[in-house]
Amino acid sequence: MNTSNDAAIVFDRVSLAYGGRPIISDLSLDVGRGEIVCIIGPSGCGKTTALRMAGGLVRPLDGTVRVLGEPLTEPRRDVAIVFQDYGKALLPWRTAAANVSLALEAAGTPRSERPERIRTLLAKVGLASHEDKYPTEMSGGMQQRIQIARCLAQDPAVLLMDEPFGALDAMTRQGLQDEMLSIVAETGATVFFVTHDLEEAVYLGDRVIGLLPNPGRIGIDLKVDLPRPRDQLETREMPEFLRLRRTLFDFIEKAEA
Amino acid sequence: MKWSRLLSLLASFLVTALFVLAWKLVADYKLVSPVFLPGPDRAWTSLVRGFTTGDLGVKFLATVERMFWGWLIASLIGVALGAAIGTSPKLRAYLAPMLEFLRPLPASATIPVAIAVLGLSDGMVLAVIAFGALWPVLLATIHGFAAVEPRLYEVGRALRLSRATVIAKIALPSASPDILAGMRLGLTVALILSVVCEMIAGRDGLGNWILLAARSFRAPDLYAGVILLGLLGYFTAIAIGLLEARLLVWRSRAR
Ligand SMILES: Nc1ncnc2c1ncn2[C@@H]1O[C@H](COP(=O)(O)OP(=O)(O)OP(=O)(O)O)[C@@H](O)[C@H]1O
Ligand SMILES: [Mg+2]
Repeated sequence: MNTSNDAAIVFDRVSLAYGGRPIISDLSLDVGRGEIVCIIGPSGCGKTTALRMAGGLVRPLDGTVRVLGEPLTEPRRDVAIVFQDYGKALLPWRTAAANVSLALEAAGTPRSERPERIRTLLAKVGLASHEDKYPTEMSGGMQQRIQIARCLAQDPAVLLMDEPFGALDAMTRQGLQDEMLSIVAETGATVFFVTHDLEEAVYLGDRVIGLLPNPGRIGIDLKVDLPRPRDQLETREMPEFLRLRRTLFDFIEKAEA
Repeated sequence: MKWSRLLSLLASFLVTALFVLAWKLVADYKLVSPVFLPGPDRAWTSLVRGFTTGDLGVKFLATVERMFWGWLIASLIGVALGAAIGTSPKLRAYLAPMLEFLRPLPASATIPVAIAVLGLSDGMVLAVIAFGALWPVLLATIHGFAAVEPRLYEVGRALRLSRATVIAKIALPSASPDILAGMRLGLTVALILSVVCEMIAGRDGLGNWILLAARSFRAPDLYAGVILLGLLGYFTAIAIGLLEARLLVWRSRAR
């Protein structure tokens, strides 16, 4: 494996087992800087586990994970993790603004600079007038937006997203997909995006990687050559989109068999 | 919402008024000997007299002070110890059986032990109160800290928060509803033990006042003391309720 040093995330022959059961085996994967890579695969194949390793929450048993050229041993502040269960990942006793503030407090941003930055970040995710609401007063889509704003407050070079829109309704999901794409285009962040939704993977990704289960390993690595910016209607009707979707569908069907 | 609150307030007033009326009737028709049950009017007169010419005020304050300090000590130790135990699964496993053994011991059972060790002193009384009020706070705090959403700890890790920051900004606020519930219980225990200790150890206070009144058949004085105790319990509960409402806005604002 030619592990280029300027890749954002490098999995170098990574293996992991839980209680003697291999979960990920000999996984090698490069994610280039600024690239959006979507990970798909049948349930339980190790997508979340791979993401948690890229976030430094779990250490591989074998091999190394490198982020921005450095071996990863612990989480880093420039690697932000968007969890699927936004309801659990937010502090319910803090308002939307105060939740975003947590990341700024962690980074040691001076108190005087925080309100301005929080306002900008919340506006960016479409929550401009909801600063003083508590998460429990907001819809699922809005809660996930808070979490995304908190992650953006980390000024991340890498965004790790674990089925971030999986629990949202179709309309909200499409809205957030486009918001995410425009934010990423603006910041140039690298994105590692886990999803169950094949169309979502093709729509968002520069590349889609399919994992095979037991133990987790790469089964397919597809380049997505669709023009950007992408459009919910036009992109999804392109022959190339349909072809990629078909290929992935066949892959998943075989992987689950 | 507003109306239903007003209505329930009115209803509770009505119930109280009916109770006092029933008390008055029972006393007036001497269904119970006036030696044991004076009417509410006589108890009230005695209460007023106790405050104006007697030293009921001093005794009342002594009990309040005792209860407050005992409760405060119990709360501080309970929260600190509970945080340490609640955040460490290992400590929890070691200490859980012993805590379960000590917990159901009635706090008043510790009084003879405390007297033997500390003598009939104010320090002894404070120790007994603090010890008794410690349990509800400690157990609630342990539970609160053990029940912190693991995902939030991961958020703390991802943001590279220090251990102290994680406790201050994540674990403590998350456990605060449990802690406050424990402190509310602890306050009740502290009041009960204050009175019991005053009776047993003969310290100045409401408990002693009630005991002496009973021994010398001054029934109105006795009831004045009991009424005062009731009021004390009632208003401390309201005070802590207000504190809870202030600290836990986020809970009441939930959909
Ligand atoms: N902490 C853990 N202890 C033991 N086994 C685990 C642990 N975490 C994950 N596993 C196992 O590892 C395997 C991969 O889990 P993972 O969550 O990575 O799958 P996934 O691809 O994200 O699945 P899904 O699509 O359902 O989210 C599963 O079989 C799971 O049971
Ligand atoms: Mg998963």
